[in-house]
Amino acid sequence: MINKVFEINNLDLFYGDFQALKGINIDIENNKVTALIGPSGCGKSTFLRSLNRMNDLIDICHITGNIEFEEMDIYESGYDVINLRTKVGMVFQKPNPFPMSIYDNVAYGPRCQGIKDKKVLNKIVESSLKSAAIYEEVKDRIKDNALSLSGGQQQRLCIARAIAMKPEVILMDEPTSALDPIATLKIEELINDLKDEYTIVIVTHNMQQAARISDYTAFFLMGELIEMGETNKIFTQPTHQKTEDYITGRFG
Amino acid sequence: MEIVRKVNNKFLKIKNKNKKEKIDIVVNLFFLISTIISASFIIIIIVFISVKGIIPFITDNNGIGSVNIFKFLTGDVWLSGTAFKSNLYSVGFIIVNTLYIALLSLLLSLPVGVLTALFIAKVAPKKIAEFLRTVIELLASIPSIVYGLFGSGVILVFVYNFADILGIQSKGGNSVMATVMVLALMTLPTITAISEVSIRSVGKDIEHGSLALGATKTQTNFKVILSSAKSGIFASAILGIGRALGEATAVSLVAGNAKSGPTLAFFETTSTLTSTMLEGLKETTGIDYDIRFSVGIVLMVVILLTNIILNYIKKKVGNVDVK
Repeated sequence: MINKVFEINNLDLFYGDFQALKGINIDIENNKVTALIGPSGCGKSTFLRSLNRMNDLIDICHITGNIEFEEMDIYESGYDVINLRTKVGMVFQKPNPFPMSIYDNVAYGPRCQGIKDKKVLNKIVESSLKSAAIYEEVKDRIKDNALSLSGGQQQRLCIARAIAMKPEVILMDEPTSALDPIATLKIEELINDLKDEYTIVIVTHNMQQAARISDYTAFFLMGELIEMGETNKIFTQPTHQKTEDYITGRFG
Repeated sequence: MEIVRKVNNKFLKIKNKNKKEKIDIVVNLFFLISTIISASFIIIIIVFISVKGIIPFITDNNGIGSVNIFKFLTGDVWLSGTAFKSNLYSVGFIIVNTLYIALLSLLLSLPVGVLTALFIAKVAPKKIAEFLRTVIELLASIPSIVYGLFGSGVILVFVYNFADILGIQSKGGNSVMATVMVLALMTLPTITAISEVSIRSVGKDIEHGSLALGATKTQTNFKVILSSAKSGIFASAILGIGRALGEATAVSLVAGNAKSGPTLAFFETTSTLTSTMLEGLKETTGIDYDIRFSVGIVLMVVILLTNIILNYIKKKVGNVDVK
């Protein structure tokens, strides 16, 4: 059993001439929730997106250093990005269900991998929806368009969609920032349930949220990783002055 | 009295308003007047065509006798008997021809147009996409007579030779196939341009959502982007088929203007409602002239019905029940 899912060494990331990440070194531990916090523009989302190579979609983005996923450098040429993304799922800031039925949304990923058997798909859809704690709410209208769901439901559907790929890691980019407090609470409970099976890396602006749900917290500032450690420790006795200033709300 | 009081009240209401609100009212009045002008022209045209077109059915056409409307709508020969001496006109086969040709041209132009749109919107590098977009816009604004000339100069020759290879003697290439090809060419820019806009407006978040699930770009384009853009793509098809149904000039040059039918074979001459109306319009009088307006009514009804049906399907296919 590998304890570290991701090992990031000396990661620099540039958008054109602008350096968005500076010498990041982080290990992401297996079956834990790691929260990335920091003020807007500090590079935490950029960092998250480099873990499943979604930054590839930005032409001017380039990277030095290395990110190892399960002891393989994911930026090495010839690395199978498609395969990486099936193992490292992602949930976005704004719920982004496809404009198709709830069922088809969840079945989309497996279908793209060539699973056609109805029975297999049915099983995947049902278990994914159950894992994402949305099954009871949608089981009677699974053929309805996903856009008819509420925002919170849509976000849980997106989590179900990610789970359907049976990933090792789920990356979450401020998954609750577009949701109301009750929907947020549900997602947080869900994250708590999911960490038994999945490694979760979550970007959040909400300090209380990071404190509530994460095992580890990493604090980013201006593209640098200031401090990372157990969440309890970061929030009670941070070693760095800047971290303390940020979590006590003195800036950011 | 009631009305007078109502008008009076309204006048008082306006009088009591402040200056800015009055300006709003005046501006809105201008909008209303413009709308009335443009709408009234449509109504005038419809009324004029209808009144002219109804003459062959209700008068005895200077002793020739009135045209039987049932036979007119179902018959398979344009005119049985001698011109100016017979009332046996019919457009039944022409309606079939028109729909058949429009449908075939759409079958050709829709897939090509949508794939082109997909290429421009999602695959091509920015500069090439920009260039192609300009080209498509130019193509869409080329007048139909130019397409017609191209059709008779190039496509007819091609079709004639192609038929020859297959061992079929076509009438100089004038045929269903040539008409379909010209119409497909003409509708292609419209379909491409509108599909491209709707494909481009599909949110990046949806695209990224698909890619993040390990879908390839091709899978994303076909399964997510196209299905998100289907409403706009359908709209482009509606506009395309509208142009195909209504096109007269180019069609007249390549259809061969068959006088009986319907024509389903690819290399046989054909005729559409528009080409029938156009042919010889300036060289005839009496019933032979008026009957073309009757064909006009039929054309308007056909286009209207097609639009209603396609819009209904569009709602069924593309509409999303959003909370």
